Amino acid sequence: MTITLTVNREERIFSGDPRTPLVDVLRDHLRMTGTKAVCREGFCGACMVHVDGAPMASCLLPVGSLDGAAVNTIEGVATREHLNAVQQAFEDHDVVQCGMCFPGMVMTMSRFFQTNTSPDRDEIKAAMTGNICRCTGYERIIDALMSIRTNEATP
Amino acid sequence: MDITPYPKLFLANDLNEALRALRELADSAIPLAGATWVMRAPLRCETADQTLIDLSRIEALRTINIDQQRAVIGALATHEQIANALNGYNDLAALAQAAGHSANPAIRRMATIGGNICTAEFAAADLVPALLALDARLEFEGLDGSRTQTMAAFLDGRATRAHTDLVTRLIIPRTQRMSTHARLTLRKAGDYPVANLSVSIALDASGKISAATVAAGAVEAVAKRWTGFEEAIIGHAPSPEKMQMIAKTCLEEFDGRDAADAPGWYRLRVLPGLAADAFSTLQETTLGRAM
Ligand code: FES
Ligand code: FES
Repeated sequence: MTITLTVNREERIFSGDPRTPLVDVLRDHLRMTGTKAVCREGFCGACMVHVDGAPMASCLLPVGSLDGAAVNTIEGVATREHLNAVQQAFEDHDVVQCGMCFPGMVMTMSRFFQTNTSPDRDEIKAAMTGNICRCTGYERIIDALMSIRTNEATP
Repeated sequence: MDITPYPKLFLANDLNEALRALRELADSAIPLAGATWVMRAPLRCETADQTLIDLSRIEALRTINIDQQRAVIGALATHEQIANALNGYNDLAALAQAAGHSANPAIRRMATIGGNICTAEFAAADLVPALLALDARLEFEGLDGSRTQTMAAFLDGRATRAHTDLVTRLIIPRTQRMSTHARLTLRKAGDYPVANLSVSIALDASGKISAATVAAGAVEAVAKRWTGFEEAIIGHAPSPEKMQMIAKTCLEEFDGRDAADAPGWYRLRVLPGLAADAFSTLQETTLGRAM
């Protein structure tokens, strides 16, 4: 079974076992290692990618189900010179420690801010429920995310 | 039987294709809905080399229709879809809340109601007690025709069920009742509940409970109605304190499930508190307006 995906706006073909989780296709076949495989059960969010625009846990997606889908990964959200707003806020607030969780957080929260430009702290926490960080204490991450909201509110 | 036309993941374009594949592949295949349970099989040391019959392209199974008589929910409706579509209906609130608070946002975007109720090994499913409390019926389609079944009857035979037909829709009668869902997780969010409770009640003119349907999940291997509690609360005002007191006297009908997340005795211990939580949510929302 040959599966065609558009990954970060480029067409990619996969012809292995269609039950292979998308995260393994990205990491092992396409060498896009920004997406992390950590818990492999949908709890940690480190493997989050956008499938047809929606954040999804790529460890739980058999690639065969995605034939024809558009997948965006952390490698495709911005350029090295111009980070997206979430990446920039994380850098500005110096919140990253080991960094394992951050690609997933960026994918989750980039999409979230497209649907809710002015969330309160509780809404941000609720949106982050599926993204676990083993290193940090979360509050600075939330502070960083709150700053995006404030920036957007300030012309 | 020739099974070579089927790849290891078969994308069914319609229900008939899925049913034919199920019949031809029999035990060598399993239906795939949201994939959130099936894809974790290796973590449970299940290495069966089964073909996945992917139902996700069958759009007809995704629809949700709500009218004054009933809510009809397609088996492939996701938790996110259900939480949004049922928002604001007092009688359906238990299911809306169960769908809106389970797991985490990404899982709610993927996991389906059909997958949730058909996964016999998943004792902590949130939607199952909600569907029991709301008196849902399941509709099945097979190559030989369709049938319906109550949620309780389905759960009785679920573990040994042959996949000769597929759950296609859940049908919930609309009522004048109010309902809610409470769950206790060990972490504040994003965890499976160690116990959950769905409550649907009607009040008489004096504000006392005149009818009740209550179901508990995660406490035993399979969610079930809490009939002793349902009977015991009739005629009482629905105050959280009173409900908690009554719940403490009705625990003998459960045999708590020991598992890695919590021992069985703990699940029983927390049930009365969950009953209080459920009724205080009712008080803050629908009951507060009705009383
Ligand atoms: S690796 Fe996918 S959610 Fe943790
Ligand atoms: S920074 Fe290490 S897991 Fe989050």
